[in-house]
Amino acid sequence: MEAEIRNKPSFANIHVKLAPGERIIAEADAMASMSSTVNMQTKWSGGVVRGILRRLFGSESMFVNVFSTDSQGELVLTQPFPGDIECIELKGNTLYLQPGAFLACESGVKLGLGWAGIRMFIAREGLFRLKVSGTGRVWFGAYGGIFQREISDEYVVDSGHLVAYEPSIRVRIGMAGGIFSSFFSGEGLVTKVRGPGRIYMQSRSFGGLAAWTNAHLY
Amino acid sequence: MQYEILSRPAASVAKLTLEAGESVTCEVGAMIAMSTGFDVQTTTRNKGGGGGIVKGLKRMFAGENLFLNHFTATQPNQTLIIGPGLLGDVIHYPMRGGTLVVQGSSWLASATGIDIDATWQGLGKALFSGEGMFWVKCSGSGDLFLNSFGAIYPVDVTGEYVVDTGHIVAFEDTLQFRIGKAGKSLIGSFLGGEGLVCKFSGQGRLYCQSHNPPSFGKLLGPKLKPR
Repeated sequence: MEAEIRNKPSFANIHVKLAPGERIIAEADAMASMSSTVNMQTKWSGGVVRGILRRLFGSESMFVNVFSTDSQGELVLTQPFPGDIECIELKGNTLYLQPGAFLACESGVKLGLGWAGIRMFIAREGLFRLKVSGTGRVWFGAYGGIFQREISDEYVVDSGHLVAYEPSIRVRIGMAGGIFSSFFSGEGLVTKVRGPGRIYMQSRSFGGLAAWTNAHLY
Repeated sequence: MQYEILSRPAASVAKLTLEAGESVTCEVGAMIAMSTGFDVQTTTRNKGGGGGIVKGLKRMFAGENLFLNHFTATQPNQTLIIGPGLLGDVIHYPMRGGTLVVQGSSWLASATGIDIDATWQGLGKALFSGEGMFWVKCSGSGDLFLNSFGAIYPVDVTGEYVVDTGHIVAFEDTLQFRIGKAGKSLIGSFLGGEGLVCKFSGQGRLYCQSHNPPSFGKLLGPKLKPR
Protein backbone atom coordinates (compact mmCIF):
# COMPACT_ATOMS: atom_id res chain seq x y z
CA MET A 1 0.00 0.00 0.00
CA GLU A 2 1.36 3.38 -1.02
CA ALA A 3 0.63 6.27 1.32
CA GLU A 4 1.95 9.79 1.11
CA ILE A 5 1.39 12.63 3.56
CA ARG A 6 0.92 15.88 1.63
CA ASN A 7 0.67 19.54 2.62
CA LYS A 8 2.69 19.18 5.82
CA PRO A 9 2.58 20.73 8.35
CA SER A 10 -0.35 23.14 8.12
CA PHE A 11 -3.01 21.10 6.29
CA ALA A 12 -1.56 17.59 6.22
CA ASN A 13 -3.65 14.90 4.54
CA ILE A 14 -2.92 11.33 3.43
CA HIS A 15 -3.11 10.17 -0.18
CA VAL A 16 -3.44 6.38 -0.24
CA LYS A 17 -3.21 3.97 -3.20
CA LEU A 18 -4.84 0.62 -2.55
CA ALA A 19 -4.24 -2.64 -4.42
CA PRO A 20 -6.50 -5.71 -4.16
CA GLY A 21 -6.17 -7.39 -0.77
CA GLU A 22 -4.86 -4.27 0.94
CA ARG A 23 -6.91 -2.57 3.62
CA ILE A 24 -6.67 0.68 5.53
CA ILE A 25 -8.67 1.37 8.66
CA ALA A 26 -9.59 4.99 9.33
CA GLU A 27 -11.29 7.05 11.99
CA ALA A 28 -14.94 7.89 11.28
CA ASP A 29 -15.30 10.91 8.98
CA ALA A 30 -11.62 10.83 7.95
CA MET A 31 -12.37 10.13 4.29
CA ALA A 32 -12.31 13.26 2.12
CA SER A 33 -12.65 11.62 -1.28
CA MET A 34 -12.04 8.28 -2.98
CA SER A 35 -12.28 6.36 -6.24
CA SER A 36 -15.58 4.61 -6.79
CA THR A 37 -13.65 1.31 -6.88
CA VAL A 38 -12.92 1.65 -3.14
CA ASN A 39 -15.36 -0.08 -0.79
CA MET A 40 -16.11 1.29 2.64
CA GLN A 41 -17.27 -0.89 5.49
CA THR A 42 -18.14 0.42 8.95
CA LYS A 43 -17.02 -1.60 11.98
CA TRP A 44 -17.05 -1.27 15.73
CA SER A 45 -13.77 0.17 16.86
CA GLY A 46 -12.06 -2.72 18.68
CA GLY A 47 -15.36 -4.48 19.50
CA VAL A 48 -18.74 -3.33 20.80
CA VAL A 49 -17.82 -2.67 24.45
CA ARG A 50 -14.59 -0.94 23.64
CA GLY A 51 -16.32 1.07 20.94
CA ILE A 52 -18.90 2.36 23.41
CA LEU A 53 -16.31 3.07 26.09
CA ARG A 54 -14.22 4.90 23.57
CA ARG A 55 -17.18 7.09 22.63
CA LEU A 56 -18.18 7.77 26.22
CA PHE A 57 -14.81 8.46 27.74
CA GLY A 58 -12.34 8.90 24.98
CA SER A 59 -14.42 11.39 22.98
CA GLU A 60 -13.79 9.45 19.81
CA SER A 61 -16.14 7.68 17.47
CA MET A 62 -17.47 4.21 18.28
CA PHE A 63 -16.82 3.17 14.73
CA VAL A 64 -14.01 2.94 12.27
CA ASN A 65 -14.22 2.56 8.51
CA VAL A 66 -12.37 -0.16 6.64
CA PHE A 67 -11.41 0.68 3.06
CA SER A 68 -10.53 -1.99 0.50
CA THR A 69 -10.71 -2.55 -3.24
CA ASP A 70 -11.25 -5.36 -5.71
CA SER A 71 -9.30 -3.72 -8.51
CA GLN A 72 -7.35 -0.67 -7.39
CA GLY A 73 -8.24 2.70 -6.06
CA GLU A 74 -7.13 5.86 -4.35
CA LEU A 75 -8.44 7.66 -1.32
CA VAL A 76 -7.65 10.82 0.61
CA LEU A 77 -7.85 10.83 4.40
CA THR A 78 -7.83 13.95 6.54
CA GLN A 79 -8.47 15.29 10.04
CA PRO A 80 -11.03 17.88 11.16
CA PHE A 81 -8.54 20.59 12.19
CA PRO A 82 -5.53 22.15 10.45
CA GLY A 83 -2.25 20.56 11.45
CA ASP A 84 0.37 17.94 10.87
CA ILE A 85 0.14 14.16 10.47
CA GLU A 86 2.81 11.69 11.54
CA CYS A 87 3.28 8.09 10.40
CA ILE A 88 4.83 5.43 12.65
CA GLU A 89 5.64 1.87 11.68
CA LEU A 90 4.86 -0.57 14.48
CA LYS A 91 6.93 -3.75 14.64
CA GLY A 92 5.27 -5.52 17.53
CA ASN A 93 5.61 -2.49 19.80
CA THR A 94 2.82 -0.38 21.32
CA LEU A 95 1.99 3.31 21.26
CA TYR A 96 -0.57 5.25 23.28
CA LEU A 97 -2.54 7.97 21.50
CA GLN A 98 -4.42 10.77 23.19
CA PRO A 99 -8.17 11.08 22.38
CA GLY A 100 -8.75 12.50 18.90
CA ALA A 101 -5.23 11.83 17.61
CA PHE A 102 -5.84 8.52 15.81
CA LEU A 103 -6.40 8.80 12.07
CA ALA A 104 -5.69 5.52 10.32
CA CYS A 105 -3.78 2.25 10.43
CA GLU A 106 -2.96 -0.82 8.37
CA SER A 107 -4.87 -4.03 9.01
CA GLY A 108 -2.06 -5.62 11.08
CA VAL A 109 -2.49 -2.98 13.77
CA LYS A 110 -4.71 -3.67 16.77
CA LEU A 111 -6.82 -0.87 18.20
CA GLY A 112 -7.25 -1.24 21.93
CA LEU A 113 -8.29 0.88 24.83
CA GLY A 114 -6.07 1.60 27.80
CA TRP A 115 -7.13 3.02 31.14
CA ALA A 116 -5.54 6.44 31.52
CA GLY A 117 -6.68 7.09 35.08
CA ILE A 118 -8.97 9.44 36.96
CA ARG A 119 -6.28 12.06 37.24
CA MET A 120 -5.91 12.25 33.47
CA PHE A 121 -9.70 12.60 33.24
CA ILE A 122 -9.65 15.51 35.69
CA ALA A 123 -6.95 17.10 33.58
CA ARG A 124 -9.37 16.72 30.66
CA GLU A 125 -7.05 14.37 28.84
CA GLY A 126 -9.72 11.61 28.74
CA LEU A 127 -10.32 8.62 31.00
CA PHE A 128 -9.09 6.23 28.35
CA ARG A 129 -6.33 6.40 25.86
CA LEU A 130 -6.11 4.58 22.57
CA LYS A 131 -3.59 1.77 22.51
CA VAL A 132 -2.23 0.81 19.10
CA SER A 133 -0.13 -2.32 18.83
CA GLY A 134 0.86 -5.05 16.37
CA THR A 135 2.60 -4.61 13.06
CA GLY A 136 1.99 -2.02 10.39
CA ARG A 137 1.79 1.69 9.88
CA VAL A 138 -0.25 4.01 12.10
CA TRP A 139 -1.11 7.61 11.20
CA PHE A 140 -2.01 10.14 13.85
CA GLY A 141 -2.72 13.83 13.61
CA ALA A 142 -2.38 16.95 15.68
CA TYR A 143 -3.63 20.50 15.80
CA GLY A 144 -0.45 22.38 14.87
CA GLY A 145 2.96 20.90 14.18
CA ILE A 146 4.16 17.62 15.69
CA PHE A 147 7.51 17.41 17.42
CA GLN A 148 9.02 14.48 19.26
CA ARG A 149 11.44 14.07 22.10
CA GLU A 150 13.34 11.22 23.66
CA ILE A 151 12.83 11.38 27.44
CA SER A 152 15.41 9.87 29.75
CA ASP A 153 14.11 11.08 33.13
CA GLU A 154 11.34 13.60 33.74
CA TYR A 155 9.85 16.19 31.38
CA VAL A 156 6.95 18.61 31.61
CA VAL A 157 4.34 19.16 28.86
CA ASP A 158 1.46 21.64 29.09
CA SER A 159 -1.92 19.90 29.24
CA GLY A 160 -3.50 19.48 25.81
CA HIS A 161 -0.14 19.30 24.04
CA LEU A 162 0.72 15.63 24.51
CA VAL A 163 -0.34 13.62 21.44
CA ALA A 164 1.28 10.19 21.71
CA TYR A 165 3.80 8.31 23.84
CA GLU A 166 5.43 4.93 24.22
CA PRO A 167 4.16 2.57 26.95
CA SER A 168 7.45 2.87 28.86
CA ILE A 169 6.47 6.48 29.59
CA ARG A 170 4.66 7.11 32.86
CA VAL A 171 2.26 10.04 32.76
CA ARG A 172 0.95 11.96 35.73
CA ILE A 173 -0.70 15.31 36.24
CA GLY A 174 1.00 17.97 38.24
CA MET A 175 1.19 21.67 38.78
CA ALA A 176 3.65 23.73 36.78
CA GLY A 177 5.10 25.37 39.88
CA GLY A 178 3.77 26.22 43.32
CA ILE A 179 0.07 26.88 43.95
CA PHE A 180 0.41 30.59 43.19
CA SER A 181 2.43 30.41 40.01
CA SER A 182 0.43 27.42 38.75
CA PHE A 183 -2.76 29.45 38.82
CA PHE A 184 -1.47 32.83 37.76
CA SER A 185 1.20 31.89 35.25
CA GLY A 186 -1.45 30.65 32.83
CA GLU A 187 0.05 27.18 32.85
CA GLY A 188 -2.26 25.60 35.45
CA LEU A 189 -2.13 21.85 35.23
CA VAL A 190 0.66 20.27 33.29
CA THR A 191 1.47 16.72 32.27
CA LYS A 192 4.58 15.25 33.82
CA VAL A 193 6.09 12.42 31.84
CA ARG A 194 8.81 10.11 33.06
CA GLY A 195 11.00 8.11 30.71
CA PRO A 196 12.77 6.35 29.28
CA GLY A 197 10.81 6.57 26.03
CA ARG A 198 9.63 8.81 23.24
CA ILE A 199 6.80 11.33 23.34
CA TYR A 200 5.05 13.29 20.57
CA MET A 201 3.74 16.78 21.22
CA GLN A 202 1.67 19.27 19.23
CA SER A 203 2.70 22.89 18.83
CA ARG A 204 -0.83 24.22 19.48
CA SER A 205 -3.75 22.94 21.53
CA PHE A 206 -7.38 22.91 20.50
CA GLY A 207 -8.37 24.17 23.94
CA GLY A 208 -6.02 27.08 23.34
CA LEU A 209 -7.78 27.92 20.08
CA ALA A 210 -11.18 27.81 21.81
CA ALA A 211 -9.95 30.07 24.62
CA TRP A 212 -8.43 32.53 22.16
CA THR A 213 -11.58 32.56 20.03
CA ASN A 214 -13.80 33.05 23.07
CA ALA A 215 -11.69 35.99 24.17
CA HIS A 216 -12.08 37.65 20.77
CA LEU A 217 -15.80 37.14 20.20
CA TYR A 218 -17.96 40.22 20.49
CA MET B 1 -2.55 39.74 -16.39
CA GLN B 2 0.24 37.81 -14.76
CA TYR B 3 -0.19 35.97 -11.50
CA GLU B 4 1.84 34.31 -8.77
CA ILE B 5 0.44 32.34 -5.82
CA LEU B 6 2.36 32.82 -2.59
CA SER B 7 2.38 31.17 0.88
CA ARG B 8 0.75 27.91 -0.22
CA PRO B 9 -1.18 26.10 1.11
CA ALA B 10 -1.86 27.46 4.59
CA ALA B 11 -2.12 31.20 4.03
CA SER B 12 -2.20 31.53 0.25
CA VAL B 13 -2.62 34.79 -1.60
CA ALA B 14 -2.59 35.62 -5.30
CA LYS B 15 -0.32 38.41 -6.51
CA LEU B 16 -1.64 39.82 -9.78
CA THR B 17 0.24 42.12 -12.13
CA LEU B 18 -1.93 44.11 -14.53
CA GLU B 19 -1.05 46.30 -17.48
CA ALA B 20 -2.81 49.60 -18.11
CA GLY B 21 -6.40 48.99 -19.17
CA GLU B 22 -6.61 45.44 -17.82
CA SER B 23 -9.11 44.72 -15.07
CA VAL B 24 -10.03 41.97 -12.64
CA THR B 25 -13.20 41.35 -10.64
CA CYS B 26 -12.73 40.32 -7.00
CA GLU B 27 -14.80 39.19 -4.08
CA VAL B 28 -15.56 42.08 -1.72
CA GLY B 29 -12.91 42.22 0.99
CA ALA B 30 -10.36 40.18 -0.97
CA MET B 31 -7.92 43.03 -1.58
CA ILE B 32 -4.95 42.91 0.78
CA ALA B 33 -2.60 45.38 -0.87
CA MET B 34 -2.27 47.19 -4.20
CA SER B 35 -0.34 49.78 -6.14
CA THR B 36 -1.79 53.26 -6.41
CA GLY B 37 -2.55 53.09 -10.14
CA PHE B 38 -5.88 51.28 -9.86
CA ASP B 39 -9.38 52.52 -10.48
CA VAL B 40 -11.72 50.65 -8.09
CA GLN B 41 -15.42 50.31 -8.85
CA THR B 42 -18.03 48.55 -6.74
CA THR B 43 -21.10 47.33 -8.58
CA THR B 44 -23.68 44.58 -8.49
CA ARG B 45 -22.95 43.54 -12.05
CA ASN B 46 -20.21 41.89 -14.06
CA LYS B 47 -17.72 44.22 -15.68
CA GLY B 48 -19.08 45.45 -18.99
CA GLY B 49 -22.76 45.25 -18.21
CA GLY B 50 -23.92 41.66 -17.62
CA GLY B 51 -25.87 40.93 -14.49
CA GLY B 52 -27.40 43.60 -12.36
CA ILE B 53 -29.30 43.48 -9.13
CA VAL B 54 -30.95 40.09 -9.72
CA LYS B 55 -27.65 38.37 -10.36
CA GLY B 56 -26.24 40.17 -7.33
CA LEU B 57 -29.03 38.82 -5.12
CA LYS B 58 -28.53 35.33 -6.53
CA ARG B 59 -24.83 35.62 -5.72
CA MET B 60 -25.75 36.52 -2.16
CA PHE B 61 -27.65 33.25 -1.85
CA ALA B 62 -24.56 31.46 -3.14
CA GLY B 63 -22.63 32.70 -0.12
CA GLU B 64 -20.93 35.51 -1.99
CA ASN B 65 -21.48 39.24 -1.66
CA LEU B 66 -24.16 41.29 -3.40
CA PHE B 67 -21.40 43.56 -4.64
CA LEU B 68 -18.31 42.93 -6.72
CA ASN B 69 -15.14 44.98 -6.81
CA HIS B 70 -13.59 45.76 -10.19
CA PHE B 71 -9.94 46.78 -10.20
CA THR B 72 -8.79 48.45 -13.42
CA ALA B 73 -5.15 49.40 -13.86
CA THR B 74 -4.76 52.95 -15.10
CA GLN B 75 -0.96 52.76 -15.32
CA PRO B 76 1.41 50.05 -16.55
CA ASN B 77 2.71 47.27 -14.28
CA GLN B 78 0.32 47.54 -11.33
CA THR B 79 0.24 44.83 -8.65
CA LEU B 80 -2.71 43.69 -6.60
CA ILE B 81 -2.55 41.12 -3.79
CA ILE B 82 -5.79 39.31 -3.02
CA GLY B 83 -6.64 36.57 -0.53
CA PRO B 84 -9.54 34.99 1.36
CA GLY B 85 -10.34 35.75 5.00
CA LEU B 86 -9.87 32.16 6.09
CA LEU B 87 -6.72 30.07 6.32
CA GLY B 88 -6.34 27.94 3.23
CA ASP B 89 -5.28 27.53 -0.35
CA VAL B 90 -5.70 29.58 -3.53
CA ILE B 91 -5.51 28.11 -7.01
CA HIS B 92 -5.53 29.51 -10.52
CA TYR B 93 -7.83 27.94 -13.11
CA PRO B 94 -7.43 28.97 -16.75
CA MET B 95 -10.86 29.15 -18.35
CA ARG B 96 -11.03 28.40 -22.05
CA GLY B 97 -14.65 28.73 -23.00
CA GLY B 98 -16.05 25.98 -20.77
CA THR B 99 -18.04 26.22 -17.57
CA LEU B 100 -16.81 25.63 -14.03
CA VAL B 101 -19.25 25.14 -11.16
CA VAL B 102 -17.76 26.60 -7.97
CA GLN B 103 -18.87 25.92 -4.40
CA GLY B 104 -20.54 29.00 -2.92
CA SER B 105 -17.75 30.65 -0.96
CA SER B 106 -14.77 29.45 -3.03
CA TRP B 107 -14.91 32.08 -5.78
CA LEU B 108 -12.18 34.66 -5.17
CA ALA B 109 -11.57 36.60 -8.38
CA SER B 110 -11.89 36.36 -12.14
CA ALA B 111 -10.83 38.13 -15.29
CA THR B 112 -13.45 40.29 -16.98
CA GLY B 113 -13.96 37.75 -19.77
CA ILE B 114 -15.61 35.40 -17.29
CA ASP B 115 -19.30 35.59 -16.57
CA ILE B 116 -20.26 34.67 -13.00
CA ASP B 117 -23.74 33.66 -12.04
CA ALA B 118 -25.38 31.73 -9.23
CA THR B 119 -26.84 28.36 -10.11
CA TRP B 120 -29.26 26.07 -8.37
CA GLN B 121 -28.28 22.41 -8.34
CA GLY B 122 -31.60 21.04 -7.14
CA LEU B 123 -33.17 20.58 -3.71
CA GLY B 124 -31.49 17.28 -2.88
CA LYS B 125 -28.02 18.64 -3.49
CA ALA B 126 -28.83 21.89 -1.72
CA LEU B 127 -29.87 20.03 1.43
CA PHE B 128 -27.40 17.17 1.49
CA SER B 129 -24.22 18.15 -0.35
CA GLY B 130 -22.80 19.93 2.70
CA GLU B 131 -22.23 22.97 0.52
CA GLY B 132 -24.38 26.06 0.07
CA MET B 133 -27.82 26.15 -1.53
CA PHE B 134 -26.49 27.83 -4.64
CA TRP B 135 -23.30 27.42 -6.58
CA VAL B 136 -21.36 29.97 -8.59
CA LYS B 137 -21.29 29.17 -12.29
CA CYS B 138 -18.27 30.62 -14.11
CA SER B 139 -18.21 30.60 -17.90
CA GLY B 140 -16.15 32.26 -20.60
CA SER B 141 -12.41 32.55 -20.83
CA GLY B 142 -9.64 34.09 -18.77
CA ASP B 143 -7.98 33.65 -15.38
CA LEU B 144 -10.07 32.43 -12.47
CA PHE B 145 -8.95 32.25 -8.82
CA LEU B 146 -10.53 29.97 -6.22
CA ASN B 147 -9.93 29.58 -2.51
CA SER B 148 -10.56 26.83 0.03
CA PHE B 149 -10.29 25.65 3.63
CA GLY B 150 -7.24 23.38 3.56
CA ALA B 151 -5.13 22.46 0.55
CA ILE B 152 -6.72 22.04 -2.88
CA TYR B 153 -6.04 18.89 -4.89
CA PRO B 154 -7.22 18.22 -8.42
CA VAL B 155 -8.83 14.94 -9.48
CA ASP B 156 -9.23 14.04 -13.14
CA VAL B 157 -12.43 12.03 -13.11
CA THR B 158 -13.01 9.40 -15.74
CA GLY B 159 -15.99 7.29 -14.81
CA GLU B 160 -16.92 7.69 -11.15
CA TYR B 161 -15.42 9.39 -8.09
CA VAL B 162 -16.70 9.84 -4.53
CA VAL B 163 -16.27 13.05 -2.49
CA ASP B 164 -17.34 13.47 1.12
CA THR B 165 -19.81 16.32 1.64
CA GLY B 166 -18.03 19.55 2.49
CA HIS B 167 -14.92 18.80 0.43
CA ILE B 168 -15.97 20.11 -3.02
CA VAL B 169 -14.30 23.29 -4.28
CA ALA B 170 -15.24 23.28 -7.97
CA PHE B 171 -15.89 21.00 -10.91
CA GLU B 172 -16.10 21.27 -14.69
CA ASP B 173 -19.68 21.05 -15.90
CA THR B 174 -18.84 17.99 -18.00
CA LEU B 175 -19.17 16.23 -14.63
CA GLN B 176 -22.42 15.58 -12.82
CA PHE B 177 -22.88 14.48 -9.25
CA ARG B 178 -25.61 12.87 -7.25
CA ILE B 179 -26.00 12.34 -3.53
CA GLY B 180 -25.44 8.77 -2.39
CA LYS B 181 -24.33 6.73 0.59
CA ALA B 182 -20.64 6.20 1.35
CA GLY B 183 -20.71 2.47 2.10
CA LYS B 184 -22.83 -0.40 0.93
CA SER B 185 -25.32 -0.04 3.76
CA LEU B 186 -27.06 3.22 4.65
CA ILE B 187 -26.89 2.66 8.43
CA GLY B 188 -23.20 1.81 8.23
CA SER B 189 -22.54 4.96 6.25
CA PHE B 190 -24.10 7.12 8.95
CA LEU B 191 -22.56 5.27 11.90
CA GLY B 192 -19.20 5.46 10.18
CA GLY B 193 -19.41 9.23 10.23
CA GLU B 194 -19.33 9.54 6.48
CA GLY B 195 -23.09 9.67 6.00
CA LEU B 196 -23.91 10.97 2.56
CA VAL B 197 -21.32 11.56 -0.12
CA CYS B 198 -21.30 13.21 -3.53
CA LYS B 199 -20.85 10.71 -6.36
CA PHE B 200 -19.38 12.29 -9.46
CA SER B 201 -19.65 10.81 -12.92
CA GLY B 202 -18.55 11.85 -16.38
CA GLN B 203 -15.24 13.13 -17.61
CA GLY B 204 -13.58 16.28 -16.38
CA ARG B 205 -11.58 17.92 -13.65
CA LEU B 206 -12.71 18.18 -10.06
CA TYR B 207 -11.07 20.25 -7.29
CA CYS B 208 -11.38 19.08 -3.69
CA GLN B 209 -10.26 20.68 -0.44
CA SER B 210 -8.29 18.59 2.04
CA HIS B 211 -10.19 19.88 5.08
CA ASN B 212 -13.86 20.08 5.92
CA PRO B 213 -15.34 23.30 7.39
CA PRO B 214 -18.40 21.59 9.01
CA SER B 215 -16.16 19.01 10.77
CA PHE B 216 -13.94 21.79 12.12
CA GLY B 217 -17.02 23.72 13.24
CA LYS B 218 -18.46 20.67 15.00
CA LEU B 219 -15.29 20.40 17.09
CA LEU B 220 -14.84 24.08 17.84
CA GLY B 221 -18.51 25.05 18.26
CA PRO B 222 -19.19 23.24 21.56
CA LYS B 223 -16.07 24.85 23.08
CA LEU B 224 -17.24 28.39 22.35
CA LYS B 225 -19.13 30.31 24.98
CA PRO B 226 -22.82 31.03 24.34
CA ARG B 227 -23.56 34.46 22.94
